[in-house]
Amino acid sequence: MMRFPQSIRWRLQIWYGALLLAVLAAFGFTAFHLEKARNLRRIDEGLHERISLLVDALRAAPEHGPERGQERGPEKRPPPEVHLTSAQAAQFDERAGYYFVIWMQGSQPIAASAHAPAGVPKPDGHDSVARMRGDFRESFLFAAPVNCVLVGRSIAGEQSDLRRFAAVLATVGAGVLLAGLGGGWWLTTRAIRPVEEISATAARIAAGDLSQRIRTAGTDSELGRLALVLNSTFARLEGSFGQQARFTADAAHDLRTPVSVILTQIQSALARERPAAEYRETLEACQRATQRMRRLIESLLELARLDAGEEPLCRSACDLATIAGEGIELLRPLAAARGILFLTDLSPAACQGDPERLAQVVTNLLSNAIDYNRDVGEVRISTHGQNGMAELVVRDTGIGIPAEELPHIFTRFHRANKARTGGHTGLGLAIAQAIVQAHGGAIQAASEPGKGATFTVRLVA
Amino acid sequence: MRILVVEDEPDLLRGLARALREEGYAVDTADDGEDGLFKAESVAYDAIVLDVMLPSLDGWQVLQRLRATRKTPVLLLTARDRTVDRVRGLDLGADDYLVKPFDLSELLARLRALIRRSASEARPVIEIGDVRLDIADRSVERAGQAVVLTAREYALVEYLALHRGEVVTRSTLYEHLFDENEDTLSNLLDVHVSNVRKKLGHDFIATRRGHGYCVEG
Repeated sequence: MMRFPQSIRWRLQIWYGALLLAVLAAFGFTAFHLEKARNLRRIDEGLHERISLLVDALRAAPEHGPERGQERGPEKRPPPEVHLTSAQAAQFDERAGYYFVIWMQGSQPIAASAHAPAGVPKPDGHDSVARMRGDFRESFLFAAPVNCVLVGRSIAGEQSDLRRFAAVLATVGAGVLLAGLGGGWWLTTRAIRPVEEISATAARIAAGDLSQRIRTAGTDSELGRLALVLNSTFARLEGSFGQQARFTADAAHDLRTPVSVILTQIQSALARERPAAEYRETLEACQRATQRMRRLIESLLELARLDAGEEPLCRSACDLATIAGEGIELLRPLAAARGILFLTDLSPAACQGDPERLAQVVTNLLSNAIDYNRDVGEVRISTHGQNGMAELVVRDTGIGIPAEELPHIFTRFHRANKARTGGHTGLGLAIAQAIVQAHGGAIQAASEPGKGATFTVRLVA
Repeated sequence: MRILVVEDEPDLLRGLARALREEGYAVDTADDGEDGLFKAESVAYDAIVLDVMLPSLDGWQVLQRLRATRKTPVLLLTARDRTVDRVRGLDLGADDYLVKPFDLSELLARLRALIRRSASEARPVIEIGDVRLDIADRSVERAGQAVVLTAREYALVEYLALHRGEVVTRSTLYEHLFDENEDTLSNLLDVHVSNVRKKLGHDFIATRRGHGYCVEG
């Protein structure tokens, strides 16, 4: 699972480490150089102070001082004397660590302090005032009355202090980097954990356990919201799988009963010789069972086709009143057999749709109204068009639908009475609903129990 | 043996009743739960075949209410074949469970087994003197010779054999040998008893005056 280059955790860690390293390096480099510059400035201040002191002392001395029998340089003009008070001289003693060298024209110094290192070269540029020479920092001034005054000191101590400082910076930086990487690992692990949990749950669901859910307690983060979204998706999936499974089980259940009839009738008929009338009875029972199976299979196929959206509805302008009228003529004999009266009020109701499918909606609703009606009852059928809508209303005077059943009557295989009642497949209303919805319309049921039910279909004109 | 069949699909109910009657059972029928429960509570059936999906009261409810008063063996008949449904049926007090669609021969065999078990008879063969009764294939032999009995005569012999050693009253016999539609003339039973005695020996069925009949074990 944790393959090195692909893992988000590793990539985050690498980026995080690189950024942290860059920040630390920039910080350390800056700190080191600031410290180094500050050191040099401090050293240079000390040097400049002493240069001024020397220059002042040189200028204070008379240009042609009294002869003292001292060794003279090769210069034509005698060099000025360097007179230092003891306090001034103390600035250049071994303890102070400073030295000076003074030149006139020519490269040989005319004077140097006692502790000046041997062979200090005369600075040649005029453009700079300080230089590094090995472990020595030297500052100089080209100024009258001499040609060049140089003051220097060894900065070996400061250099080693700086190196120590660099080492400390590097050590602290490395420590911070390690701590940062560790913290980063912990953070990414924490951040990735919900992702891993989501992926583990998704894997279990993919393996077939649809009841699995991601734990979302206390996760208000983006991942928590993702988990909520996934959970609701999983719930919908489980719901539709469950619905499908129930539907299949119901279909199988409803096919089992007619098969039982056929098996029982035939096995019992075959058990002995019988008069012809008994065989006829058996065959008739088998025929009824087979017809029922045929109706059920046709309804199941119809629903499957509607679900799959296989056959696109052919849409044409049609009149709901005409379709209803044809359906009424088709079912009038069935209603008459039970003394049920069709009362019609068919105003033109133009709509867009597939006339054959809409005719099925009408016959399903009418059969329903006949089957659940009382004997010698009424079915009122009306159509009308208004405000760009076509409406069909079928009202019966039957037993009605209890309020708690109303939300379920369009559910497949739902029957008001749990048992099989006559020729019902339990799919008629579900099919009617599927067809109406495929047309972009709506179907509704209302009922006053004991007085009858009203079904209303609305389609776009 | 008297059996109640509760089933709402009319063709299945008729087919089952015909098959059971031809096997020599007295068969009562009910096509909804309420009627079924009423009959099951008022008559001492030897077994009840009960469909689960029924109008008015479903099979579970009928079973639950019946168990408050009677121990009649119940065979549940249903199209629901999930394990939870079977467990529920058996836990509610059903004695057996058969899933639709079923073979008639299996239903009959299970009914025979149910009735035998409820009479605490583990083996399907009962021997009384020189009479040998095979409940599985409904045959009777006397001294090794097959004896032909009518369905009603066989039912009488089987009932008395399953309750051998007990005195069975005439009304009990009427209750178990005749269904609700038969006009039970009181001498019909005497005719059957007399015919059985002719075929299996006069001493096979003893008469306890004022009490009933008895087959000695």
